[in-house]
Parts: sequence; C-alpha cells; structure tokens
Amino acid sequence: MFNADKFIDEQVKKVKAEVKGKAIIAASGGVDSTVCAALVSRAIGERLLAVYVDTGFMRKGETESVDSMLRRLGVNHKVVDASDEYFAALKGVTDPEKKRKIIGEKFIRVFEREAKKFGAEYLVQGTIAPDWIESGGGLRDTIKSHHNVGGLPSDMNVKLVEPLRDLYKDEVRKVARALKMEVAEKQPFPGPALAIRVMGEPTRESVEIVREACAIVEEEIEKASAAGKMKLPWQYFAVLLPVKSVGVHGDVRAYGYTIAVRAVDSVDAMSAVYSKMPHDVLDTIASRIANKMKEKVNRVVYDITNKPPATIEWE
Amino acid sequence: MSHFIYAFRERTVGLANLFEGVTNKRVAESADAIYPRAVHLTMRILVIDNGGQWTHREWRVLRDLDVEVEIVPNNTPLEKIKTDGLVLSGGAPRVGVDAQKMGFCGEYVDKAGVPVLGICAGHQFMASHLGGKAGPSKVPEFGKTMVTVDDEDEIFKDLPTEFVAWESHNDEVTQLPTDFISLAHSDNCAIQAMKHKTRPLYGLQFHPEVENTDNGYEMFQAFIEICRAHKKE
Repeated sequence: MFNADKFIDEQVKKVKAEVKGKAIIAASGGVDSTVCAALVSRAIGERLLAVYVDTGFMRKGETESVDSMLRRLGVNHKVVDASDEYFAALKGVTDPEKKRKIIGEKFIRVFEREAKKFGAEYLVQGTIAPDWIESGGGLRDTIKSHHNVGGLPSDMNVKLVEPLRDLYKDEVRKVARALKMEVAEKQPFPGPALAIRVMGEPTRESVEIVREACAIVEEEIEKASAAGKMKLPWQYFAVLLPVKSVGVHGDVRAYGYTIAVRAVDSVDAMSAVYSKMPHDVLDTIASRIANKMKEKVNRVVYDITNKPPATIEWE
Repeated sequence: MSHFIYAFRERTVGLANLFEGVTNKRVAESADAIYPRAVHLTMRILVIDNGGQWTHREWRVLRDLDVEVEIVPNNTPLEKIKTDGLVLSGGAPRVGVDAQKMGFCGEYVDKAGVPVLGICAGHQFMASHLGGKAGPSKVPEFGKTMVTVDDEDEIFKDLPTEFVAWESHNDEVTQLPTDFISLAHSDNCAIQAMKHKTRPLYGLQFHPEVENTDNGYEMFQAFIEICRAHKKE
C-alpha cells in the first residue's frame, strides 16, 4: 500500500539532489499543486517561488483565499493577474480542445516570464497520473488535453519537475493529510477552470454567470453535507449551456439560458458515478440560480451520467 | 538523467520513456518488512500497455496488492519479458479491425509461458489470436453493467455471482477460441469472462481495475494466486 511518509522523504531528497538552482511552481491553490509546493519548499526553501495566475476564470473569491492560504503555508509566493491576456486569447474560441491548448500555452508563457524575472530554470508542476493518461500520446487516445500536459508548447524553455506524476488524487490527499495541510479535502478544480464550464466562447459576461452558479452549487452542497443530508461529492459545480428555452417570470414570457448542475462521486477521477443528491437540495439550487440570474438563466438541469460514458467536466 | 526531471520534448519520444520510473521498489521493501524474507515470495507481474485509459490503474491495483509490477509497452521484445504473470491492458486500438496495434501481445501469449490476464482489448485480442473471433458489439457497454458469473473457476472463487462491473467497449468476443470456456455474461454481452480449459489464460471484458467494479481487487488477488501456483509448478 501507498506510504505517504516514505513518499515525502523520498521526494524531498530527490528534489534536493536534482534541483540545483531556483525553481518556480505553478500554484493554483488546489490539492496537487499545494502539496507539491510544500514538498519542494521543504527541499529548496527560498529558492522556490510559487506563482498563482489569476486567469479571469477563477471561482468567486478564489484568488484572495489562495493568496492567504499560501501565506499561511509559509511558501514564498506571488499572484499574477493575467485575465486580460486570457480573455483576449480565447476571443471567438468555442472548441474545447482549442480552449485547453490555448490556456495551457498561456500558462507556460506566463510562467516563463515569471521564471525569467525570478532567475529560475525549473518549473515545478503538480501533474498527477490521470493528467498525462487522459492527455494521450503514443497508442493512447486523447480524451482531453490537460492544460499541464497536452497543452504544453513544444518549444518551452524551462525544465519540468513533476514529483507527483505517478500518484492519484486519493494518494495526494494522503500526502496532504500526512503534512497536515488545510487543502487536503478540497474538491478538484481543473486548471482551465471556468473557461471549460462555459459551453461556447468564454467571455467576461458568460464566465460571470457560471461563476455565480458554481458558488451557489458549492454553498448549497457544502451546507447539506455539513448538515448530514448527503455525502460531500468528489466534485460539484455548474456548467453554462448555450441552449435557450422558454420560461415564465411573473406572467411574462422569459427566454434564457440553461445551467447544468454536475456532482459526482469518485476515488481517483478515472471513473465516476453521479451523486444521488437529495431532491430538496437540488430544488434549492435550482431556485436560487434561476432567481439570482433571472435575466440570463431560466432553467436548471441535473446531469445523471457516469464516467464512462461521460467525463466529469463537460469539456 | 533522473526519471522525473526532463524537458517536455523527451516525454513525446515514446512509451518506454513515458513509463520510465514506474517500477515500484517501495512495495517490495514494504512487503519484506511485513513478511520474513525467507517465506515471502515476491511475485512479479508485467502490465503490457496497449494504450488503455486504465492501464495505470492495473499497475496501481497490483502495487496495492504488494506485487512487484511494471508497465511495459507492447512492442517490448519477448526476451525482455521476465515475469511471473502478464496483464494485457485494454486499449484505444479496435482489435477487431486493427490487430497490429497490439504489438507483440501474440508472442507473449504463445511463448512467455506464464499466466495471462487479458482485459477488454487484451481479452478480445487473445480470443482472435487463438482462433476465436472478436468484432463490434451489437450493444456497446459504457460504465455500470451487471455481470453474472456462470462458472466461478478460480478467478471468481467465493465472490458474489452477480456483481456491478465497469465497462467501456465498442467490440467484444463474438466466438470463443478452441478449448476456451465462457465464465460470465451480461444482458448485452455473452462473453464477459473466459478461460482456457487447461492453460492459465484468462480474459475479462469488463474492467476489474476500476474502483467502481465490485471485488476487482479480489479478482486480481485470485490472478496473483494463479501466478504463484504456476511459479511453484
């Protein structure tokens, strides 16, 4: 069985031996990259700089909370606002694979810039097994290009360090618990973030709708779970669909978009079942979303597909 | 060069590089700590990678079961296959129409002389390679499926005869090879599991390595025991 303490010792030793100069780490505030930051920081201390990129696709309040979490963790870090760049790069882009590739490349360009400023020759990433498995290569089919693998440009000029690449999320959580980290139980939030939760072009406006809907889904599910009404799912969020339908608001015809709610249970993201959520929780989510965004959204649906045949995120 | 520091370009060179460093020595050490060296017989099993989404899961389950396990690409020459058992992974290749993507899997089945567990594409390949047939499923199965055991044999020994299995296939075994028997079925797939009457060759259409499949670890444990028994012979 996987031994977290042993893993920590081995990786700290390895990083110490192999990373001679300075390194930056791509830090999203999620479990993988934060665990990675803690490990590498143990090994090389101040020679590591954690860089958090605000892409404009982050969830409500996320940038501020990651900033303070990294401060509490005691890792040398900085926040870079690159949202204008990201929205510009994704203008008119609707194809999911194109979105992922553009976002992946943008990340690297931002990190290269930051690496240069900091004088780092290494880029540390919290890549884990499903990232490179699903990104394909050789015989393996590309299911989706994870931004940190399939989205990497081939002419990148930093050396990659990926201490977690053979681990699955449940094992990363074990490492996080062994290190007593507050992010240990945080739900996954893939790097392309809200850009792949908007079906179609991610604009400031469409991203704002899904950001609000995601916040409501998270709030209600976390509340229900804390009250013992349901198990906290592996991942839970909202997706903005481009489908418009007819509704009625105060005796007046409405014609708005649709939000899909997704919540799944899984151990390692390589397979998943949809969460059997109580109907009253779904009810509250639907009412809150439709009422809050009545100009834009008048219908909410729940996704009842497992993985396979679907994947967890929609794009 | 260490296995985990490399430039991106080198990752695209080939599967051999992709899986470099996947061998797990930690497990062998921890197993020795639990069992005295004299009585503990470490089993070594290779997972042949046919490009499946769950190849690495097979590696993980075997590692969790304290087997010394390594993923190797399916074009590894036979003389380098030194192992007590083989798992032929699933894969993106549709073996019904594209058998050459299965590399040297045929040679391994014929000449490696160890127990073989074919999963999904590996199972279908074994059937067509040994004289049976594999082809498109009338009803492909994805995700949750109920499987019924018709003959428990060693692989399903003492396990429930109906269980939830996770599937992901467009093709299936449509005709058993000579000297094979079917061990399980589902509503839409007549051959969910098969084995050779006398040789330790097993095929499973569903995915025991996936977390959502009931008793998957037990099935792998049964396969490990089959390998262990074969090694002693």
